[in-house]
Amino acid sequence: MKKFNTAIVGLGGQGIITMGTVMKNAALSSDLQDVSGSERRGGAQREGYVETFVKYIFYENESEMKDPRKSMHSPMIESGGADALISLEPLETLRGVRYINKNSIVIFNETPYIPITVRMGQTAYPEISFIFSELKKITNNIFSYDFDAISVENFSSLTQKNIIALGALFAKADIPIDVFVIENLLKEGKGAENNLKAFNLGLKL
Amino acid sequence: MGKSNLFINGTKGDKAIVLGNEAIARGALEAGIGYASMYPGTPASEIIAVLDKNKKNIENLYTEFSLNEHISLHGAIGASWSGIRSLCAMKNVGLNVASEPAQFLSYTGVKAGLVLAIGSDPGAPSSSNEQDDRWYSLHTYMPIMEPSNIQEAKDFTKDAFDLSEEFSFGIVLMAPSRLCHNAGALYFGDLKNRSGIKGDFKKDPENYLNLFNMAVRNHTKYLERSELLKKYLVESKFNKIINGSSSKIGFISSGVIYAHLMESLDILGVYDHKILKLGLTFPLSNELLGRFFEGLDKVVIVEEAEGFLEFQIKKIAYELGFKGEIQGKNFFKQTGELTIDDVLSGVSRFLEKPLPVFFDSAVKKDKELQDKLPQRSGTFCIGCPHRATFYSILKAVGFSNTEGKEREVVIAGDIGCYTLGLLPPYNAMDFLTCMNAGLGIGQAISIFDKNKKIIALVGDSTFYHSGIPVLLNAVQNGADILYIILDNSWTAMTGHQRTPSTQKDIDGKSSSNALNLKDLVKSLGVSYVKSLDPNSVKRFASQIKSALKEPGVKVLIAKRECILQEVRRNKILNKNITGLTETSESLYEIQKSRCVKCNECFVELACPAIILKKDAETGADYYHIDNSSCVKCGVCYEVCPNSAIRKVEFNIKKELKLETKNLN
Repeated sequence: MKKFNTAIVGLGGQGIITMGTVMKNAALSSDLQDVSGSERRGGAQREGYVETFVKYIFYENESEMKDPRKSMHSPMIESGGADALISLEPLETLRGVRYINKNSIVIFNETPYIPITVRMGQTAYPEISFIFSELKKITNNIFSYDFDAISVENFSSLTQKNIIALGALFAKADIPIDVFVIENLLKEGKGAENNLKAFNLGLKL
Repeated sequence: MGKSNLFINGTKGDKAIVLGNEAIARGALEAGIGYASMYPGTPASEIIAVLDKNKKNIENLYTEFSLNEHISLHGAIGASWSGIRSLCAMKNVGLNVASEPAQFLSYTGVKAGLVLAIGSDPGAPSSSNEQDDRWYSLHTYMPIMEPSNIQEAKDFTKDAFDLSEEFSFGIVLMAPSRLCHNAGALYFGDLKNRSGIKGDFKKDPENYLNLFNMAVRNHTKYLERSELLKKYLVESKFNKIINGSSSKIGFISSGVIYAHLMESLDILGVYDHKILKLGLTFPLSNELLGRFFEGLDKVVIVEEAEGFLEFQIKKIAYELGFKGEIQGKNFFKQTGELTIDDVLSGVSRFLEKPLPVFFDSAVKKDKELQDKLPQRSGTFCIGCPHRATFYSILKAVGFSNTEGKEREVVIAGDIGCYTLGLLPPYNAMDFLTCMNAGLGIGQAISIFDKNKKIIALVGDSTFYHSGIPVLLNAVQNGADILYIILDNSWTAMTGHQRTPSTQKDIDGKSSSNALNLKDLVKSLGVSYVKSLDPNSVKRFASQIKSALKEPGVKVLIAKRECILQEVRRNKILNKNITGLTETSESLYEIQKSRCVKCNECFVELACPAIILKKDAETGADYYHIDNSSCVKCGVCYEVCPNSAIRKVEFNIKKELKLETKNLN
């Protein structure tokens, strides 16, 4: 059995759940593929921490798929169990640090959203360099981009940043799913043209 | 869900990525339900929402967002007695409200199958407690099913209807938020022909009448039915024993925690112990447990919360004379969500097997780092009228973060989006428990502590849920309290279900039965009642001040629609009329030269669209309105004491229209 675990973190309203849904739909082409992963939704609240997990499972054969000791998968990723961590907010990358190990790929968005405690002057927002150095202590595979700026520049709106980030994930991590499977899914969905463009922008990063 | 709407059309052989809640709804559909209802509540809301959304294309399906859980479960019982398979869903605390119908359901039994799907919320990410509703079954006797993954969520729900009819119990289907909001692969089954779904209520006094000896007789009958169910469960497909090799250790688990357990054992590379997977966790069969205990001298129960299984299993072990050791809650915590990390650590301690290095070092690193990170909590959406309401209340009672002023006035909280007002920077609640506790507790405080002014808050949906008798009680018993009803016309927190206040649907259609809330409040005997727009914060604050000076029960209705719905409707309608979505005709900006960073907009109002920026040349910080997220509610414009916020108007709509004309 092979597995590939992706943890996606960020804030409510950033399109994280959509990223997870697109990724999960890419795992339907074979019966020997399985997928699990839950979301943490905070009701209608905005600006709160949100995470979603995508766990790809590839069985070696049918008997493994039917083995009760192998075929039941938790909806969560255990600490250190993510092959990739993608974060749409710099500070939240550090809240997602628990999921990564020395081989994990980390991709994070550079645009900060300031929490209320920082607004009120009670705490300070960490410097990007601090975030980098903390991540470096764990893994060397770190990539950061300003997905907000790329989205605004290309689409005059923030709404595509999640799909751009998804492209970046496929460019940097060795995900055992073909890129064209994702492209086909985006083609069939809403806003196909922008999504395809956004995904390809991400792929080229 | 997928493109061609497999939810309503999918048949055997189809496969899709489905949310846990949708899988439950699909299972009910495959079982041929004709009735589905709920009072909305996270994490369960999508169970009925997905059926409601699709009902136009599903023959003979009735859906209802009931006013509360008590009504909702009674509705399901009425449908069942009319021969209609019925699904009722609610969140964990909903069963407190519906406990009365649940208590009687075993006495009367069902006619057509009835399933009660409960979304529990361990860790309380969207609830005000983390109660484990399984304990209710010790007295309601409702059998409990606990699916472990998406496929079981669908399959168990479908099977639950047959079980319900066979043993005449309403069946509880327990789904924690981790399952409700898990999305994974689902293999569909076939749908039943729906043309024959038709109600026919047949009188059944033997079962439906409960009084004196009739009630005692029905009590006896359901205890007998429960014994029959236990016999059935010895060999049922829901409970499975996975045999080990020569190990004398056994694991017992259920639901999502079972999935955590199986993955934990796989991570630890342990495959030789005996495992009992319980799909049905109430009632438990002594005979089944007897079979499982054979050859074991150490058993551990892996479950969430206080140990519902452990409680039952230790009793059964005593009855069976099992001499081995039974462990459980001493390895797995009772509070908070039991995560895969907790299960992995607990199993490793129980088996005295070291944790993998990658896991250990990740846990250590995380612990070391988390204290250094600023906490982040959710807040109101940009443009949310509740933000204006809280700002107005805090101004009226003299609270200020910036000036370090506390408030004397007691504020009673309640359940809804506005609950977020208890978080910083507002800190505008002094107690919060269940729905309508705000006025209920607040009115009594007003009677016993005459020195304090009290404001109780409630949302429209919560008020209609069970607040009307509380308000009437306050009036009848001479309470002295200001009751603010935050009427945003929707049950917004759970995905915008309609309330009796909903005047206009999302497509712009007027509602034929919208209620006049002000008239309703008046009719309850409240003479001081005013309805205002909370976004006019100055007027609203001064109104709160005057109301607080009056004796008796005063009601202010903060009436403004949820901004998300308003924006969505505008998008839909504008698209329909012009084919355009960009209709912004004004924007707000902070003039750097006039802004003295007094923090009235940035900290007191705390709208997330107002952000901190650094001047590229001078490096100085300044406040800025982010126009890609601002929804132009204009509240910041009103709160600015220095007229530093400016409204810029232009007619972009007209310009765009001209452009499209030219293109055509």
